[in-house]
Amino acid sequence: MEEIRKRKVFLDGGMGSLLQERGLPAGQLPETWNLQRPEVVRQIHLEYLQAGCDIVTANTFGANGLKFPADGDMPLEQVVTAAVACAKDAVRAAGHGAVALDLGPTGRLLRPLGDLDFEDACRLYGEVVRIGARAGADLILAETMSDSYELKAAVLAAKEHSDLPVFATVVFDGSGKLLTGGSAASVTALLEGLGVDVLGINCGLGPVQMKAIVREMLEVSSTPVLVSPNAGLPRSEHGKTVYDIDADAFAAEMEEMGRIGVQLLGGCCGTTPEHIRKMIRRCRNLPQALPEEKNRTVVTSYSQAVQIGGQPVIIGERINPTGKSRFKQALRDHDMEYILREGAAQQDWGAHVLDVNVGLPEIDEPSFMEETVRELQSVLDLPLQIDTSDPEAMERALRIYNGKALINSVNGKQESMDAVFPLVKKYGGVVVALTLDENGIPETAEGRLRIAKAICRRAEEYGIRRCDLLIDALCLTVSADSRSARTTLETVRRVKEELGVGTILGVSNISFGLPQRENLNSTFFAMALHSGLDAAIINPGSEAMMRVYSSFRALSDLDPHCGDYIRRYAVQPGGNPEGTSQGASAPKPLPAAGQPAKRDLTLQESIVRGLRERAAQAAEEELRARDALAIISEEMIPALDQVGQGFEKGTFFLPQLLMSAEAAKAAFAVIRERLEQSGTRQESRGTVILATVKGDIHDIGKNIVKVLLENYSFRVLDLGKDVAPEAIAEAAAKDQVKLVGLSALMTTTVPSMEDTIRLLRKEAPWAKVMVGGAVLTEEYAASIGADRYCRDAMASVKYAQEVLDGGDGL
Amino acid sequence: MEKELRETLRYLGYRGRTEQEPETGRQQMLALAEDCLREARQAARPRCLWKEQPLQFLEDGRLDLGLFQTRSQALAKSLKDCTGVLFFAATLGAETDRLLGRYGRLQVSRAVVLQAAAAAVLEAYCDQVFEEKKKEYESRGQFLRPRFSPGYGDFSLECQPALLAGLEAGKRIGITLTGRYLMAPSKSVTAAAGISPVPAGCVTEGCEACGKTDCAYRRDEA
Repeated sequence: MEEIRKRKVFLDGGMGSLLQERGLPAGQLPETWNLQRPEVVRQIHLEYLQAGCDIVTANTFGANGLKFPADGDMPLEQVVTAAVACAKDAVRAAGHGAVALDLGPTGRLLRPLGDLDFEDACRLYGEVVRIGARAGADLILAETMSDSYELKAAVLAAKEHSDLPVFATVVFDGSGKLLTGGSAASVTALLEGLGVDVLGINCGLGPVQMKAIVREMLEVSSTPVLVSPNAGLPRSEHGKTVYDIDADAFAAEMEEMGRIGVQLLGGCCGTTPEHIRKMIRRCRNLPQALPEEKNRTVVTSYSQAVQIGGQPVIIGERINPTGKSRFKQALRDHDMEYILREGAAQQDWGAHVLDVNVGLPEIDEPSFMEETVRELQSVLDLPLQIDTSDPEAMERALRIYNGKALINSVNGKQESMDAVFPLVKKYGGVVVALTLDENGIPETAEGRLRIAKAICRRAEEYGIRRCDLLIDALCLTVSADSRSARTTLETVRRVKEELGVGTILGVSNISFGLPQRENLNSTFFAMALHSGLDAAIINPGSEAMMRVYSSFRALSDLDPHCGDYIRRYAVQPGGNPEGTSQGASAPKPLPAAGQPAKRDLTLQESIVRGLRERAAQAAEEELRARDALAIISEEMIPALDQVGQGFEKGTFFLPQLLMSAEAAKAAFAVIRERLEQSGTRQESRGTVILATVKGDIHDIGKNIVKVLLENYSFRVLDLGKDVAPEAIAEAAAKDQVKLVGLSALMTTTVPSMEDTIRLLRKEAPWAKVMVGGAVLTEEYAASIGADRYCRDAMASVKYAQEVLDGGDGL
Repeated sequence: MEKELRETLRYLGYRGRTEQEPETGRQQMLALAEDCLREARQAARPRCLWKEQPLQFLEDGRLDLGLFQTRSQALAKSLKDCTGVLFFAATLGAETDRLLGRYGRLQVSRAVVLQAAAAAVLEAYCDQVFEEKKKEYESRGQFLRPRFSPGYGDFSLECQPALLAGLEAGKRIGITLTGRYLMAPSKSVTAAAGISPVPAGCVTEGCEACGKTDCAYRRDEA
C-alpha cells in the first residue's frame, strides 16, 4: 500500500486464456490446475513478475464452495492453498511481488433475481478468504463483479475474515452500467462506504471503450483507482475467442490511463505478459498522485446514486407508523403490500430517498426491519433511509441493504455514538446526526452547533468522513416555543457555514399540534431551503410541499430553463402530482382523491371493467347510501361472479380477470376501513398458504392465485418464492392451516414440490395441498401426491371454497 | 397488427376472435398489450453471444457439440446434414426481471401482460440476430438451421452449464443458472443451431416445429 503513494503500481494480466493455450481443455475449471499442473500456473505468475508487475493474482477466480465442495475430489481448501502457494513460489523465484487472493463472481445470481441468499454468498466468500489468508495472500482482490449485491458480499467477507487490504473492481458495459444496473458513482459510493483500499474497473471492455467510464470514476473517487481492461473487444474466430488490440496498442492506451490519474494498472481477458511488459515500460515513470478527497455525500440503491448537497433532496416520510393507525394495522397484520404501495406512491410523487421506520412496541422490529428493507429494495430502486433507534434493527438492515444507505440516526449521547458509529464504519452509510445529547435539546443555535461539532469529532475518531454526516438541527413545534423555527433555521445556516457539513430536517414537526399544518410546513420548508437545507424528510404526496420544492429549484438556479417546473405544472395548472413525468416504469399511482375517473359507472360495472380508481370511488359513494355488507353481496359478488364465469367461457382473459380482482380489492379496502371504524372486523373465510417451491424463482402464477383468493375473502399467507419445504411445513403446522397451494414452473423444480408435499404429510397431515404450474398435469400432480391439480387461478378459488367451506363466508 | 403485439397476445392465450367478447374488452386488451410492449422495450437491455463449434455424430448415437456431448433425438434431427453448430445465448437483462417483480407484487394484472410482452421482445431480438447470422453464413455458402433450445423435446436442461460456460455468458452478459438450472435473469434464451453445407428443405421452426400439437398457445396455422 505504501508503494501506491510513490509510483504507479502494476497488476498482472489474463490467466484463463494462457492456461488454455498451455493445454487446459475447454470446459475444465482453470483452478483444477493449481493441483494438477501447479508448475504451469507458477510459470505464468513468474512470467508476469518478470514482465515487471508488482502484484500477481492467485488462480482462485472461480474457486468457491459451490464449484469445489469440501467433500469433492478437489476440496476448496486444497485448491485455494495450492493457488496461493503457486503465486508465492513465483514471487520467491522472481525476488519481488505481492500475491492477491482473487474473488470472482460466484456464478449464481443473488436473491431476489436469482436463488443465492446474500448471507450464503458472504459465507462462500468468507471460506475462500479464510483459507487464502492462512495460505499467506498479501491482499484480496474482488474482481469482475457485475452485481453490486454480490460485490458487497465479497467485500464484507474479505473484511470480516481477514485484516488484509481489499481491492475491488467491477465490470461496466459500453453504456457505463453494471449488468444489474449501477453506475460509476453508485459503485464508488458503495465501495468507499465499505472501506476498500483500492477500487476500479476490469474486464468487459478494452481500454479504448473503458476510458469514458474511467474518467467518471476518477471524478468521484477519493480512493486509488485500479484499471484492468481486456485486450480490446472479443470476437469468435473458429470457435476461439480472440481480442482485437495488440500489446503495443494496449500499452499506449494504458499510458493515457496513467496520465489521466489511474493509480494502479493491469490487464484482464486476452492480455499476456507481453501486454503487461509493454504497459509497464510506458507507464513506469508517469507521475503518481493519490486522489483528492472529493467530499461527496452520496447514498445509493443497487442502481441509483443520490448526491446530497447542491440539489435539495426529498426523503419520503410515509413509511412510518407514527400517528397513522392504518399503517400500524398494516404492521400488525404483516401487510407488506401496503408498505410497498406507500413506497411506490412516494416514488411516483417525486421522492429521491425513502425513510423506513417500522418501530412499534408489539412487533419484532429487527426482523421486520430486515424483511421490509429486503422487500422494498426488490421492488423499488430508490435509496433507503434506515430509521430506527434499535441498534440490532439498524445492523440487520444495513447488512442486507443493497447499496449505501442513509441512517437515521445518531445523536450526541455517548451511548448512541458508541452503538451507531461502528455500524457506519463497517457497512458504510450517510448518518443523520441529531443535535441533542445527555442534556436534551439545547434551546439555542449555539448549543446545537456545539453538539454537532462534538459529533463530527467523535465520528472522525471512528474514521467516518464528515461528508458521511448530515446534521439534523431539529425541528420543534412552534406551538410550544414561538422561537423554535428561527433557532432551527439559524442552526442550519451555521452548520453549513461553520462546519461545512450537510443538513437534514424532519420538516413536518414544526407544525405539530396546530391546525392546517400544510400552511406552516410548506412555508417553513421554503425558509429552510433558503437557509441552505440539503435534505428534507417530508410527505411528497403533499402538493403544497412539492410546489415549494419545484418553485425553490426554479428560483435558485437549480432547474435549468425552469424545465422541471414547466414539465410539472404546464399541463395541469392545478398541479396534480400524478401529472408529473416521474419514471414511466414506476407502478401506476394509487387511487388518490380527486383523480379523474368515469363517474357514470356503478361499482359492479367498474369491477367488471377492471377500473381500480373508479371502483374505490364508487364504493365510497355506495357507502353513503347503503350498508357495507349489502354492497358486498349485491354489487361486488355478482361482479366477481360475472368475470369469473366469463373467464371460464373464454370471453374474459386472464389480464382482465386480474384487473377486475384488483378493482374489487381496491373497493374492499374502502369498505373494510368503514367496517373497522364501526367496530366490525370482517371475518376471513380461512387461511391459505401459498408458496413457490424451493429452487423456483418464477412467482407470477402464485401471485395471480393470491390476488383472486384474497378477493374471495380468504386470508393468504404468502411465503414467497424459492421457499424451503421446512419453511412451508412449519408455517402450516404453526397456524394449523388447512390448505396449502404450491407452484412450480419447470420440470427441474417439481421434485421440490414432491419433497414439500411429503414433509407436509408428516408435519401437517390435516392440510390439503393444491398445486399448479406450467409443466404440471392432472396425472403428474397425482403422482407427486398432491390433493388437487389446479389448471388455473379460478380452479384454485373453487378448491379453496371446497376445502374451507364452513367459514363465515362473506 | 405487428408481430410482437400479435405474439404478446398469443402468449396470453388471447386470440381476440371470441364472438361473445364485448368490444370494450377487446379494446382494453389491445391497449394494455401495446402499453406493456412499450414498457418492456424500454426496460430491455438485450445482449447476446454466440460461438461456433464443430459437430460430430458419435457411433453410440450421442452428439459431440464441442462444448459438451449429449444424447437427443430432437436435436439430432434438427442438426441433420450439419457439420457445425452455432451456440447462442441472449438476455433482456436484470432490469426486465425487476420490473416483472415489481408489478408481480403491486399490480399482477400488468405483470401478466408484461411477462408476455417481454417474451415477445426477446424472441423478436433473437430472430433479428439470427436473420443477420443467417445472411452471414449464406454469404460463405453455408446454411443456418433454426435455433433449438435446451429444455425442448429431449434436449436436456443439464446441458445448460456447459453451454453457458462455453460462451462465458455469466461474465459477459450476466446469464447465470440457479441450482435447478433455471436461467436468471429469467428473460434469457440459449440455443444451438446447425450449420450445414446444404440448404434445408421446407423449414418449419418455432411453434410449428414442436410436437405438442394440442398446446393452448400454439401459433395459428395461417
